[in-house]
Amino acid sequence: MPGILIVEDDLELREMLRISMARKKYTVLEAENGREAILHFKPSVTDIVITDLIMPDEDGLKVIMKLRELKPSIKIIAISGGGKVGPGNYLNLAKALGANAVFSKPFSISDLMIKIDELLQAEQHD
Amino acid sequence: MKKKPVISNDSEYLRYLEKEKQISDQIFDFSRSMITIINREYSYEKANATFCRAHRIRTQSVVGRTLSDIWGDDAFKTYIKKNIDLCFAGNTIRYEAAFDTPDLGTKYFEVIFRPLTTGNGEVTHLLAETTDINDLMQSKQAVIEKEEEFRTFETNLPIGFLRVDPAGNIIHANRSFHRIMDCNGDIPLPGINIRNFYASPGMFEMQMEELEESNTRSFGRVTLKNCNGTEIPCRLSAYIARDETGKPSYIDFAVEDSSRELMLENRLLQAQNLETIGALAGGIAHDFNNILATISGYAEMLQDDLQDDPGHYEMASRIMSAVSRGLSLTKQILTFSRQVEQEKVPVRVAEVLKETIGFITPVLPAGVTLKSNMSKTEVRVLADPTQLFRVFLNLMTNAFQAMEEEGGRLVVTQNVVDSRTARHELNKDTVADEYVLISFKDTGKGMEPSLLKRIFEPFFSARDFGKGTGLGLSVVHGIISEMDGEILVSSEKGKGSVFNIYMPVLKDKPEPVVSEKRKKILFFSGNKHESQILIIALENSGFDLIRASDRDNLYSVFNNTANTPDLIIYMADTELIRQEELAGLYLELKIGTPCILITDPDHSAIEENLLNSGIIKQHLLKPVSLRELRDAIQSAIK
Repeated sequence: MPGILIVEDDLELREMLRISMARKKYTVLEAENGREAILHFKPSVTDIVITDLIMPDEDGLKVIMKLRELKPSIKIIAISGGGKVGPGNYLNLAKALGANAVFSKPFSISDLMIKIDELLQAEQHD
Repeated sequence: MKKKPVISNDSEYLRYLEKEKQISDQIFDFSRSMITIINREYSYEKANATFCRAHRIRTQSVVGRTLSDIWGDDAFKTYIKKNIDLCFAGNTIRYEAAFDTPDLGTKYFEVIFRPLTTGNGEVTHLLAETTDINDLMQSKQAVIEKEEEFRTFETNLPIGFLRVDPAGNIIHANRSFHRIMDCNGDIPLPGINIRNFYASPGMFEMQMEELEESNTRSFGRVTLKNCNGTEIPCRLSAYIARDETGKPSYIDFAVEDSSRELMLENRLLQAQNLETIGALAGGIAHDFNNILATISGYAEMLQDDLQDDPGHYEMASRIMSAVSRGLSLTKQILTFSRQVEQEKVPVRVAEVLKETIGFITPVLPAGVTLKSNMSKTEVRVLADPTQLFRVFLNLMTNAFQAMEEEGGRLVVTQNVVDSRTARHELNKDTVADEYVLISFKDTGKGMEPSLLKRIFEPFFSARDFGKGTGLGLSVVHGIISEMDGEILVSSEKGKGSVFNIYMPVLKDKPEPVVSEKRKKILFFSGNKHESQILIIALENSGFDLIRASDRDNLYSVFNNTANTPDLIIYMADTELIRQEELAGLYLELKIGTPCILITDPDHSAIEENLLNSGIIKQHLLKPVSLRELRDAIQSAIK
């Protein structure tokens, strides 16, 4: 079963993502901030990372750079709700740093699932 | 006492006369004045040495010469003769004039003609005495010039000067004071009491007390009342002059109009206020988007589970609609708080303005007229045309609402102003040589100053509760600020409002976009003006646009294989084509082109079907920004 790591500081949103992923039979790993995500990263069981961008304790951009370094083949999806810097340029920055896809909150779960499928299929082709 | 000379015989008498003549000749010659004796033939009978020196002639040769000979015929006829005639009539004539003498050059002289009479009272000669008063005249002139200099200084400085007596009665007021106080010339200020100009009573007494402590005093900002009764914030300072006993003799006031200063301070305060609210609202919007994401996620899962239960599925759909509304709200807040970076392209303001006017004209309320006047329509700014459209639409809609009860007129103008004008109006450093000034002037209800101060704050609505979100103008402010522009408003209760937008003019010529890679987009929409804005935005971003406004257009586009688009943007419009028909068209024409659907925020179940058909790659809700559209195009075409 493909493994998905969800990095999100909002507990309710993280829970919602966990439930929706679990319904699709993905193995779900969770981290509540960037520091935890990097610290407990398990490359062998993680295929996809869904990370928020603005978080306390290491933001999403750091997560993208660090995890990509730890596992170059990892697929990363960045999500952001806008804030101090603006979702537009923050998400663009995430993309520039190597996120495979970006979504701004609130997003459609089915769109997210389609994207995850797409990325997993691409991984099989790699 | 002078001793009388003793004369005993004729020869002694002759000697005596000779001596007297010598003395009087010497007095005559040594005088600083030019002295002559003139007879009725206008000839000189006698002239002193000073006169001869000045005219460089020998004494003997003067006698017998006429005045016109010495002074010239013109001078004699025009003014000398008439004075001499007056003198021969028995008058002493005195006048000052500038004229030439060969030795002294042009100088000011005082001329006196005195009639000389014989024993029987007949005037046979006159005595002309001409004195050089040049030095006197020069110092007089210097005093006049000095006075004039001080007068212009006092008149032209934009500071009101006022001198009052210790009781407060105005002794003197300069022109600037009249101007600041809006008092026209027919109200002579001297005599009026200064107390009439203070907005609050007792102020003059208070200031006099302060002047007791020190003769010079600055009172800071004091509210004065002008001749029409309008209050004017002024900066006041005064000096009290005293006589030798220490008693006040008069008080001088300097009055500066500080309305502009105050207006700029308020504007700055307002900007800071908006920034604080913006930061706050931005933070809330961020958290709120997290909450919306959670809600929509669960609602979507519910929809998944409730496919076979239409009643409950509909409930989940309603949750999704509510989320859409929430999202549109947070988008607006983020726009206001300038936390959404706009995608900007070079765009002609006049073009967007024209489309907005075209869009709104069919829905003009009764009794309201719209007039537009645009100049230099070729100038461009760097902006997102969709956002400009939103700004213009918002301001025009507001104007119409302010006029819908009583009717009125909205005048929209576009002009170009230079950076100096812009710098003065905006009171900040300018970033461009020229600015586009778009002005919206209505004759509606107008606003109170207290309201005016807060109109750009989010959730602050001038309208009745329940009408709109109160976000409109705050979003307008956010959009304009994000474009390096500025929006200024002035309004008068009962008269109307003026919104002025300044935007830096883009100077550089557009770079030609590389044409080979240009993607073709078919824009399918019935609403000409609204879609035209998006077409302008996309064309300026480097796309090739094909427009289709009905089913036949669509057929012809797809029948011409050379013109096959890379993407279709369908702006939902029920009059154009029913949305469920689009899927049918796709099948019929065997179209494989990806499609972006743009709908109103509260999309219907039919759209839901279309969305599920797999044709729609991206779904955007109005209002759509260029950035959203470009992101959607990027993902759809890929």
